[in-house]
Amino acid sequence: MAKKSEAMRGDRGFVLTMLAPTFFFLACFYVYPFAFNIENSFTDLSLFGLRQGGEWIGTENYLELMASPDFRRVLWNTIVWLTIVGVAVRILLGLGLALLMTSRTIRKYRLSTACRILLIVPWATPPIVAILVWRWMLDPRTGAVNGWLTSLGLIDQPIAFLATAQWVWPALITIITWNTLPLVTLTFMAALQSLPEELIEAAEVDGASRLQVLRYVYIPHLKPAIIVMVLMSTFWTFNNFVYVWLTTGAGPGLYTNVMATEVYIKAFVEGRMGYSSAVGVVMATIMTIFGLIYLRVIAQREMKEVFDDGR
Amino acid sequence: MAVDRSYHMGGTTPGKLAAEIAIIAATLAILAFLVYPTAWVLLASFRTPETMFASSGFTFTLDNYRKLLASEFAGAIFNSLLLCLASVIVSTFVSVIAAYAFSRKRFRWKSLIFGSVMLGQTFPWIILVTPVFILFAKMGLLNSHLGMVFVYVAVSIPFSIYLLVGYLESIPRSLDEAAIIDGCSQFEVIWRIIFPIMLPGIVATATYAFLLCWSEYLFALAFLSDTTKKTMPLLLAGYFGENVVEWGNVMAGSALTTLPTLLLFLPLQARMTSGLAAGSVKQ
Repeated sequence: MAKKSEAMRGDRGFVLTMLAPTFFFLACFYVYPFAFNIENSFTDLSLFGLRQGGEWIGTENYLELMASPDFRRVLWNTIVWLTIVGVAVRILLGLGLALLMTSRTIRKYRLSTACRILLIVPWATPPIVAILVWRWMLDPRTGAVNGWLTSLGLIDQPIAFLATAQWVWPALITIITWNTLPLVTLTFMAALQSLPEELIEAAEVDGASRLQVLRYVYIPHLKPAIIVMVLMSTFWTFNNFVYVWLTTGAGPGLYTNVMATEVYIKAFVEGRMGYSSAVGVVMATIMTIFGLIYLRVIAQREMKEVFDDGR
Repeated sequence: MAVDRSYHMGGTTPGKLAAEIAIIAATLAILAFLVYPTAWVLLASFRTPETMFASSGFTFTLDNYRKLLASEFAGAIFNSLLLCLASVIVSTFVSVIAAYAFSRKRFRWKSLIFGSVMLGQTFPWIILVTPVFILFAKMGLLNSHLGMVFVYVAVSIPFSIYLLVGYLESIPRSLDEAAIIDGCSQFEVIWRIIFPIMLPGIVATATYAFLLCWSEYLFALAFLSDTTKKTMPLLLAGYFGENVVEWGNVMAGSALTTLPTLLLFLPLQARMTSGLAAGSVKQ
């Protein structure tokens, strides 16, 4: 690292002043409550006995959790359905849409800007509104989706998508994808703008097939954007509470229960705050491991100088 | 393998034309599907609840809005606006000065501190609900807007700093060095040199913080039980009950919640997505 000039050398007082408010908020909101949460996870603290506090019960909550088949189901739902399937669908569709909407035909007829503006609509729809309108759309009696499928002759009987085990996950993924796909698509479209047209033409002149152009020109160019979007989508989705809670309430039964809703249900429905805290600690541990991967990536790429600057 | 050059020359063969039509039709179909739900909400908000789901022949009305604005929802709009504006001002200020220090200063443990702030982005908020609830109960901050502003500032800081450091890194450091040599104090450099240049980045960051707060549901649900203190998403979720759905309120309330975000996203999207894309492309 090149030697910094006088002006860039940190003076402690200035740096401390600049960072003090951030420290205050992060310490009060993340560090202290999380430490409190860890402490609670070793007690039998209950919602109805908050005032007297909980009894220390050691690792009992964690042992119960590890032995519980319900918790295994929650882990499966969170990691496989919500996160892996949810993120993969979003990234693949986002990639396809971005390529479609920056294709030569769309550009030739000058439709790219219109595409971009219309893509904002689902993204700008707040999740709460997205969930309400989709709950209506998926309704078996008045919903639009059943109407479309019936008139196309694909189904005879209306399907209660959100109340049927077989359909509820695909339905949830559809809602989340609808709401979050535009950010991914628009980011890929922005990244594609810096891809020189000559590169594609050169590949075509060399006789590359469409798949080869995709594989050897587009994908390598998009790779950094794909990595960032996969990482960000993963922690946004894994930690999300509202989509599952307001769409299905973790149901039918507890069929779509995920970690975020499990923390909430255990604490505020069943009143078992100690156990809920233990679930929370597991959740935070998974995300911290994941967060370290995220840090490695941003430390190596976009924020390299910031990380290299001081240790 | 022969390359069809007609494409680049602007010529169109019948086969190509069919392919073009197929591509455009597919694009339009996808866009229609994506826009449909939101567009439907906006249209339905002007229909009477009785004719809301009729496939043909609906009655135009403004009653949904009249009824909604005469209810406690008017207070919720005020609450949401107040909370979001206060949070945005505090959070943007706190993030800008922190981002400046992270981007421009060398200090001990910087990687560790910056890394910890960035880890805040991946932290599951849900597990903070219980401890913060207990803390707020002790401090009398439940059902208080002050408490909510604290929460919203804290949750928006990590990503705001991430965005702002990204912008700052694209501004040459020689600029502030020159200003310091000219005799500007550190604070003057931030205020007179950096602030104007990074204003677009600050606007994007503030918009992000506003939208986060505007659609936030979880903390509002946990910490606000007094109806007069509730925000728009909370009341909205209440209209869509398990058994009774107040369709007029649902649609008008949804439209009023979506409109500001739609207007804010239009100018924001280009900046936000190019920021995310550019940051990641830079090698």
